[in-house]
Amino acid sequence: MTPQGSRFGPWIGGLLLLAGWELADRLLSDAFVLAGPVAVARFLMDEGALMGRALAVTLGNAAVGFVIGNLAALALAGVAVVWPRSERVVTGLALLVFCLPLVATGPILRVLFGPGPGPQITLAALAVYYTTLIPLLVGLRAVPDTWVELVRSTGRGRLAVLVHVRAMAALPALCAGLQIAAPAAFLGAMVGEFTGAERGMGVLTIRAMRALDVPMTWSLATVATAVAVLAYLALGALARRVLRAPPPVILAAPSVRSKQGAAWRDVALVAALALGGWAAVIGLGGLNPFFAKGPGDVVTALVFAPDAPETRATLGAALAETAVFLLPGYAAGLAAGAGLAVLLVLLPGVAGTVLPLAIALRSVPIVTTAPLVVLLLGRGALGTIVLVAVMVFFPTLVACLHGLRQTPGQVLDVFDSFAAGPVTRLIRLRIPAMWPAFFAAARMAVPASVLAVTVVEWLATGSGMGRLMALSASLSDYDMLWSCVVVVSVLAALGYALVGAVERRVLAVYAPEQQT
Amino acid sequence: MGRDPDHPPAVVCTGLAKTFEDGTEAVRPVDLTVGAGQTIALVGPSGCGKSTLLRMVAGLEAPSAGRVAIAGRPPAETLRRAGLAVAFQDPSLLPWRTVRGNVRLALRLARRPMDDADIDHLLALVGLAGFEETRPAALSGGMRQRAAIARALSTRPGLLLLDEPFGAVDDLTRRQLARDLPRLWEARGTTTLLVTHSVSEAVRLSDRVIVLSPRPARVVAEIAIGLPRPRTEAIGESAQAAALTRQIFAALSDGMASPATAGPAS
Ligand SMILES: Nc1ncnc2c1ncn2[C@@H]1O[C@H](COP(=O)(O)OP(=O)(O)OP(=O)(O)O)[C@@H](O)[C@H]1O
Ligand SMILES: [Mg+2]
Repeated sequence: MTPQGSRFGPWIGGLLLLAGWELADRLLSDAFVLAGPVAVARFLMDEGALMGRALAVTLGNAAVGFVIGNLAALALAGVAVVWPRSERVVTGLALLVFCLPLVATGPILRVLFGPGPGPQITLAALAVYYTTLIPLLVGLRAVPDTWVELVRSTGRGRLAVLVHVRAMAALPALCAGLQIAAPAAFLGAMVGEFTGAERGMGVLTIRAMRALDVPMTWSLATVATAVAVLAYLALGALARRVLRAPPPVILAAPSVRSKQGAAWRDVALVAALALGGWAAVIGLGGLNPFFAKGPGDVVTALVFAPDAPETRATLGAALAETAVFLLPGYAAGLAAGAGLAVLLVLLPGVAGTVLPLAIALRSVPIVTTAPLVVLLLGRGALGTIVLVAVMVFFPTLVACLHGLRQTPGQVLDVFDSFAAGPVTRLIRLRIPAMWPAFFAAARMAVPASVLAVTVVEWLATGSGMGRLMALSASLSDYDMLWSCVVVVSVLAALGYALVGAVERRVLAVYAPEQQT
Repeated sequence: MGRDPDHPPAVVCTGLAKTFEDGTEAVRPVDLTVGAGQTIALVGPSGCGKSTLLRMVAGLEAPSAGRVAIAGRPPAETLRRAGLAVAFQDPSLLPWRTVRGNVRLALRLARRPMDDADIDHLLALVGLAGFEETRPAALSGGMRQRAAIARALSTRPGLLLLDEPFGAVDDLTRRQLARDLPRLWEARGTTTLLVTHSVSEAVRLSDRVIVLSPRPARVVAEIAIGLPRPRTEAIGESAQAAALTRQIFAALSDGMASPATAGPAS
């Protein structure tokens, strides 16, 4: 089930990466945008104490958020399994919350919590719970009926099924989800620190950017990358001990489909619950109405207020600006990921080397490297588009490579017996087998690319929704800020649903067995 | 175990029928009695509704009509006491547990005391000595089935429901199991309902063979097997056994020739 790369493949790949990086530094030494491995190492030696303290703070917050977020995921999955009818509503609400733009929720949480680690921890938890919840649900449900009947035939009920069968059956998926969650928690904590924390890696990142401190920027990105990769590998090793086998490569959450009830009813229920929950928190929380806006306030701001047309125009303009970066980056990332995967499968020796590296790099919190992209490509459109594309690229590459390798050996044998060449096999067999993984990645890439684009706009380019949200936060224009939150999360959830709809159409043709 | 007056229990099905939600009529009203401690074999063409019938007796599937009584009470009660065990058509071993671990889980779920020596004795009986610590993925299909049989026997149920338990087992091992297992359930006193595709096995193992028609299943014939016990190989190959086998085959083809009024939709 795991990619069986050669043992040295990842090391060779990693060394090549380092060498290329150092070479680029030497070649571009006049441009003052790039610090190579040597310069980074020197910086880390000199400023080790500072970096160490910041790292400890961020890691602490990330760890707390990781635990909270995953406990929430476990609880939600438990609800959905014990009460199957609720599953689509639970996942719908979870998706909506996952789509909340961190750039806007960060400042809101900052006002709410005041100084301290509250926002960092909350954002870390928000960054992980969805990527754990969905694989967990799938794992809990993917249990043959006969295993359930076996437990029932010994006279025991649903609880015993959950404890003895479902929980164990879901362990591999849970491990894979946690493996993705660990770096995501680190990313969430860093974004939380961007919102005006006192200490941590995020604070240093902002400081380095303001000061145009090239070695520091690169060192921070390097440390963030190393932490992410190490967290990924450490959880992988832990999972191998628990499972006695490597955890599955979870491409992205498989699309959750349940057959019970009409879809529109669940959508309406999700909307009603989201609005009700929101209104209840605002109303019952005793929060200061100056910054705590309820659904009514947002509707007023967008529809009834005297300045509503201007608000809408501002929002519309910002959305359009963001879409110009987002859509090409998203499309380019998907195309590049899928394209490279297909190429690599035609060169099987190379795929073994690239896949482990890509899996590790997938966990890099791309957003934390945003300052690098700005250093390298400037504050223009290209930098933003590239960042979004990179954010989409790695998960897509991993998912597609994995999907391409899923082609059952027996079917390949059948094709061989017809003397089909490698290209025929690729087109007729492997690419169709890749679609489910590709679409799973494409769906999950929607919230990820929204996060990437808004963070870059906020930190670097000063345009679009990211800037609008940051500006509204600093001007205390909370009507606008909450409107942004609503619009962005609803649009992201709709984008996710749209990709899901295309997915169902395509899979109905190419992979009917995926449709249950 | 023997202190329970209802051990082993008698099973009585009256007017038992099943139509699935999608309209598939799997079982026509069936009347069926299994005396306490008897072994009854169900034979019938593939897809006729044997597994469905067995699952209704086990209380795992709700009948659309009729009722099942195990020792005079509904199956749910027997289930709750872990008074029955099913060896499913699909071995359904949990892949993360070893062979012994799978058996232990059944004992734990059934809240029975656990004795590894007992477990290993059962595993040896089904020919799995030396594979106690093996995980199902490393077993052959027939070995998995035998592990599932051992698991069903481990809880010492009063009622044993076996669905094609030897389907993937080679002929030689089948014969050996057909010799050894009845000794065990005779010694323990077990009521057994056995679904099998093998007519000669039905004759070998059972006190009575129930022949079912193609779907929807109804009883075409009930044939008492008056062969003496213990059933040695010689008895299995006797002229009397051969005559019974012919009689069952005749009943099976009668059932095929006069299917139920509803045309088979499969
Ligand atoms: N859950 C279900 N929903 C609808 N139809 C079902 C269901 N389970 C079984 N059936 C149908 O009921 C009929 C009888 O199935 P059953 O499994 O009882 O057959 P069987 O006699 O055990 O066959 P085999 O000997 O091949 O195991 C089949 O036509 C099957 O398609
Ligand atoms: Mg069957």
